[in-house]
Amino acid sequence: MATLNWRTINIDALDPDSPANFDLSTLTPDVASASTADVQSLAGQIRQLLRAGDNEGALQGALENPPYGADERGKDIHLATVIEILQSIRQSEMSPILSRIYSAPGGTEALDVLMKYIYKGMAQSNTANTAKTMTPQATGFSQIHARGGGEGGGQAMSVLLSWHEKLVEIAGPGCIVRVMTDRRTV
Amino acid sequence: MLLLDYQNVLIESMLKDRFSGAAPVSIDQVVSDFDGVTFHISTPESKTKIRVSIHVKCFQELVQYGAQAVLEREYGPYIVEPESGYDFSVQVDLENLPADQEGKDDLIRRISLLKRNAMAAPFEQAFDEFAQRQEEASKYTSESAPQGVLEGGEVRAIHYREEEAIYIKASHDRVTVIFSTIFREETDRIFGKVFLQEFVDARRRAIQNAPQVLFRHDPPLELEGIPGINTSGSGEVGYITFVLFPRHLTAQRREEVISHIQTFRDYFHYHIKASKAYIHSRMRRRTADFLQVLRRARPETEEKERKTASGRTFRVQA
Amino acid sequence: MSQSLRPYLQCVRSSLTAALSLSNFASQASERHNVPEIEAQSSPEVLLNPLTVSRNENEKVFIEPSINSVRISIKIKQADEIEHILVHKFTRFLTQRAESFFILRRKPIKGYDISFLITNFHTEEMLKHKLVDFIIQFMEEVDKEISEMKLFLNARARFVAESFLTPFD
Repeated sequence: MATLNWRTINIDALDPDSPANFDLSTLTPDVASASTADVQSLAGQIRQLLRAGDNEGALQGALENPPYGADERGKDIHLATVIEILQSIRQSEMSPILSRIYSAPGGTEALDVLMKYIYKGMAQSNTANTAKTMTPQATGFSQIHARGGGEGGGQAMSVLLSWHEKLVEIAGPGCIVRVMTDRRTV
Repeated sequence: MLLLDYQNVLIESMLKDRFSGAAPVSIDQVVSDFDGVTFHISTPESKTKIRVSIHVKCFQELVQYGAQAVLEREYGPYIVEPESGYDFSVQVDLENLPADQEGKDDLIRRISLLKRNAMAAPFEQAFDEFAQRQEEASKYTSESAPQGVLEGGEVRAIHYREEEAIYIKASHDRVTVIFSTIFREETDRIFGKVFLQEFVDARRRAIQNAPQVLFRHDPPLELEGIPGINTSGSGEVGYITFVLFPRHLTAQRREEVISHIQTFRDYFHYHIKASKAYIHSRMRRRTADFLQVLRRARPETEEKERKTASGRTFRVQA
Repeated sequence: MSQSLRPYLQCVRSSLTAALSLSNFASQASERHNVPEIEAQSSPEVLLNPLTVSRNENEKVFIEPSINSVRISIKIKQADEIEHILVHKFTRFLTQRAESFFILRRKPIKGYDISFLITNFHTEEMLKHKLVDFIIQFMEEVDKEISEMKLFLNARARFVAESFLTPFD
C-alpha cells in the first residue's frame, strides 16, 4: 500500500456527486428489453421476406423493430440482418425505396434507425479476415504500380457509402445529428 | 553532380593554384574526405615545399594488402617520412616541378587521388589474384580441377569506417566486393531498400553488362567465419554484394572500376540523404498549401472605412 | 477522382457538417474553466455517439462529437513499408507545426494517423463550411502527395542506380 501513488487516483470516479458519474440512463428513454432469441426470430422472419423478394418489406420490418434493449450479441445479429438487406438491394432501387419509407407514417424514425445501422456497419472492424500484413516491397517493375491492394472490406463499405449518400439526400443532415444525439444505440 | 568525384577537389584546386606560378605562401590546412579520412596540407620547411599527409583509419590493413607498393608506384620520388599522426606523406617542391604542363597536371591528379590510391591496394591485389586463378583454372576442365582451384581465395577485409567494412574476395571467374553498411534510422533503411532494389534490377532491365548486385540483411555466405561480422541479422545492417565479372577486370578498365566501386557507399548514402531532403522540402511546400486552404476559412475581417452622411470619416483615437 | 473516393468524401463531408454544431460550454468539473469536453471526458452527458466513416480497412475517419468540440481522426492509406514511412514522416511534419494549423491535434488518437480538434471557438471564428472543405481537401491531397512522393522515390532510385552502374557497362 505504501507504494501507491495517491496523486494518480481518479477521485472523480469515487465521488457519487461528480459530473463524471452522471447517470446516463436518465437520458435514455425506456426501451423494451429484447432477448437474443427474440432478435433471432425476428431475423428469421425478415429473411423469409427477403427470400420472397420483398426487399422493401424486409427493410421496413427491420427498421421498425430495432432491438434497443438487446445485449451486444442481439444487436450484432440485427446489424448483420440489416446489412444483408442493404446489400441485396440494387443501387437504382435505393432512392425510390427510401422515399417511400420516408413518406410512410413513422418514416423519419425508420430512416434514423437506418442511419444508425449504416454508421455502425462502417465502424464494425472486420479485422478478423484481413490480418495486419505490411506487404514487403514487391520487386522490380511492380514498384510503379498504383497504390492499390489491401482494400479489406472495401466492397461492403462502398455499398454502405452509397446508401449513406442517398439517405442524406432524402432525410437531410438532421438524420446524422439524431444518430449522434440519440442515446438509444443499435 | 550526380556521381561523386574520385579525387579530393580541395587538394586538387589548391595544388593547381600553387603550381600555376603564384607566389609561394605558407599553408597549413586540414582537409576532411569521405570515410573519416583526413589530409593535412602544410609547408613545414619552406613555402615552396608542400607536404600532403593522409590519415586513413584502416591504414594497417591496407598495408597488409600491399598499399605500400601501390603508393610507391604512384608517388615514388615524392614520398617522405610520414608526418606524426598521419599514415603517409608526400612532398612536392615547387621549384622542382615537372617542366611541361602535362606533367604538372598528372602530378596534381595523382596527389589528389591519394585516398583512392591508398584504398585501391586490396582491390588491385584481388584483381591480380583473379588473373592468376583464372590462368590456373583454365588448365583444367571443371570436373578435373583439383580441390581449391575453383574455390575463392581469402577474403580481404577493410574496416574503413567505425562499423562498416568492405570485403573483397577473388575466385577464378569473378571478384566479389561486399559492402556492409549501417542504416541509422528506419527511414534510411526503407529508402535504402528502394534504392538497392533498383540496383539489383538495373542489370536485368537496362545495363546487361553491369556487375551483378545482391542485397541482404544477413551476412552472405562468402563472409562465413570472418571475425567481427554482425550476425544478428537485424535490419540495421545491410550487405551489398557486387560481383565483378572478367570483363570488368581487364587491365585497361581496372583503374576506372576500382575508383568507381570505391565511391559506392558514399554515393549510395548521399542519394538517400538527398531524397530525404527533397521529400522534406516537398512536405514544407505542401504544408504551406494546407495553411493557405485553412486560412480561407477565416472570414475577411478588414474594417471598411465608415463615413457619415456628409462624407466625413471617423478616426479611432489612438 | 476514383469511383469509390467520391462517396467516401461525400459521406465524411455530410457527417462533419452535422457534427460541427457546437456551442460554448463551460466545464462542469472545474470552475472558470472552458475545456473541450471531448478531450476532458469528465461529463459523459455532453459527449455524443461517435461516428465512423470508412472506405475500407485502411482508410477511415473517426468523428467524436461533443457539446463544444469535435475530434476528427483520419487513417491514411498505407499499402507498403514506403508509404508507411512517408505517411509517418508527413504527419509528424504537420503535427510539429500544429500551432499554425489551429485545429490540428499534436498527437493522433490511437489507431489513426492524424487527428484534428475543432472547438466552438474555432467555429465562431472561422466559417464552418470552409473548415469542412479544409478537412476534405486535406484528405484528398494527402493521398495524392504520398503517392507522388513514392513515385518520385522510385524514379530517383532507378536513375541513381543506373547512373552508378553505367560506367561498368
